[in-house]
Amino acid sequence: MEILQGFVDAVNGILQSSGIFTLNWQNYVMIGVSIVLLYLAIKKQYEPLLLLPIAFGMLLVNLYPDIMAAPSTELLTAEQCAAKSVATSGHATQIINGVTYYENPTYGGLLYYLYQGVKLGIYPPLIFLGIGCMTDFGPLIANPKSLILGAAAQIGIFITFTGAIFLGFTEAESGAIGIIGGADGPTAIYVTTKLAPHLLGSIAIAAYSYMALVPIIQPPIMKALTTKKERSVVMEQLRPVSKLEKIMFPVIVVILIAIFLPDAAPLVGMLMLGNLFKESGVVERIAKTAQNELMNIITIFLGTTVGATASGQNFLQPSTLFIIGLGLLAFCMGTACGVLFGKLMYKLTGGKVNPLIGSAGVSAVPMAARVSQRVGQQENPGNFLLMHAMGPNVAGVIGSAVAAGVLLNVVG
Amino acid sequence: MNLSNVASILADSGMSLSEKGIASGKVILTGFVVVFAVLLLLIMIIKLYSTIVQKAQQSGKKKKEKVKIEETKTSAPTPVVAPVSATPSALSVQDGVTDEVVAVISAAVAAMYGSSGKARIKSIKKSDSGRSAWANAGILDNTRPF
Repeated sequence: MEILQGFVDAVNGILQSSGIFTLNWQNYVMIGVSIVLLYLAIKKQYEPLLLLPIAFGMLLVNLYPDIMAAPSTELLTAEQCAAKSVATSGHATQIINGVTYYENPTYGGLLYYLYQGVKLGIYPPLIFLGIGCMTDFGPLIANPKSLILGAAAQIGIFITFTGAIFLGFTEAESGAIGIIGGADGPTAIYVTTKLAPHLLGSIAIAAYSYMALVPIIQPPIMKALTTKKERSVVMEQLRPVSKLEKIMFPVIVVILIAIFLPDAAPLVGMLMLGNLFKESGVVERIAKTAQNELMNIITIFLGTTVGATASGQNFLQPSTLFIIGLGLLAFCMGTACGVLFGKLMYKLTGGKVNPLIGSAGVSAVPMAARVSQRVGQQENPGNFLLMHAMGPNVAGVIGSAVAAGVLLNVVG
Repeated sequence: MNLSNVASILADSGMSLSEKGIASGKVILTGFVVVFAVLLLLIMIIKLYSTIVQKAQQSGKKKKEKVKIEETKTSAPTPVVAPVSATPSALSVQDGVTDEVVAVISAAVAAMYGSSGKARIKSIKKSDSGRSAWANAGILDNTRPF
């Protein structure tokens, strides 16, 4: 009889702690959302390297919320310790009203610890290190004017800031929402953790979703703002850039930006360190690690833990819908401003610049440059804009890091 | 979403309309000016140092070339002249086409028609389209995955 009672109690205990009793409807909705995202990542291959870990992190945290729980300390008397079979030796004690309490630490969930890299702003600069190793700034050095397009595409960030503030978000929250328009995942996460950590889940997911949707969002805007003649412009071949110029570039950029805008130094600094690894040619082993193994490890941690911030209670808020809407606005404005500045350059150079490369100024490397290439080729199959678009594209990475520095400085 | 939700969010930040206007104006102006100023400064610096580097490298190259020419003058007094390029006076070469390219084209023509002198190159010009159909096909093939 006793055995049977014990069995019923045990089963009851397992049931009580199971998801069936502890999860609420928001968790179930989010489980559904994460499964849809997994489908998009695997079947449709929308940025699978990021979307897959994000979706799975989302799934995990909604099935087992304690996986993101912070560590805490409970105070137990000697009797309570005995009842919970917690050892009293080795624990710090506190004496309150003459009673000795033992400090019994409870540990946080697995993803809580991995999330510290996001929370403390460690992962995004490390991702930038890897991106720096993979980026060729040659097209930008050959045609420095493309930096203007990289700057123009950041205007969307600041216009969206206004939209967010008038919708009732605070200044810091609006800054974090606006940065979605930079189309740069690590920058968006970095700024959000500093300005509005509670919005991280929705902002990161909005930013990565729109980056995956660049080939769908950008072309209609690009076509609407340009004429057939402008889209058909074949640009002159870029001059070859010497190795010395490429080596000097990261050093000069980091000195300039870190002096004028110290808030952007962690991102730009790491980006340029990675680039120097690549261009110097003397630390091939490190460059290989930074752009492959290290970056992959960080991507796993970053993706999973960012997904894990999207617990039902946090994510299913009206503000998430606003963030997703404003993010789209930021993206469209950035693209439009880039193309419009491209048109301006087309006029000023007497038709030598194809305005389509302007849209690549929103970072999203190299997706946005590919879109410029594709749209250009639809008009003229013999036109290859890819390398010309890479100039504004990598300039956009620098531009959004600078914009991030401005936001951190002004509203942080 | 119903209106009460929107209203509750609108009231969140506790800023008046004018405060919001000032805050957004401040950010737009600062953002616009600082981002453009920093990137314009970068443009100037990149242009400056790349011109310096290019000039330094060009003058280095010229020095080397001079040394080479002097060496060849002293060491090879009887240069061999290829039969096809034996009539350089009749050949008009467009600006920007290097001697190497002329030599390669001459060699190709000589290989095709033999060096008996039946073929003569009258002029070498860059074609307007920039790339041949083959080059286009090759690049298209390489960039398609992107």
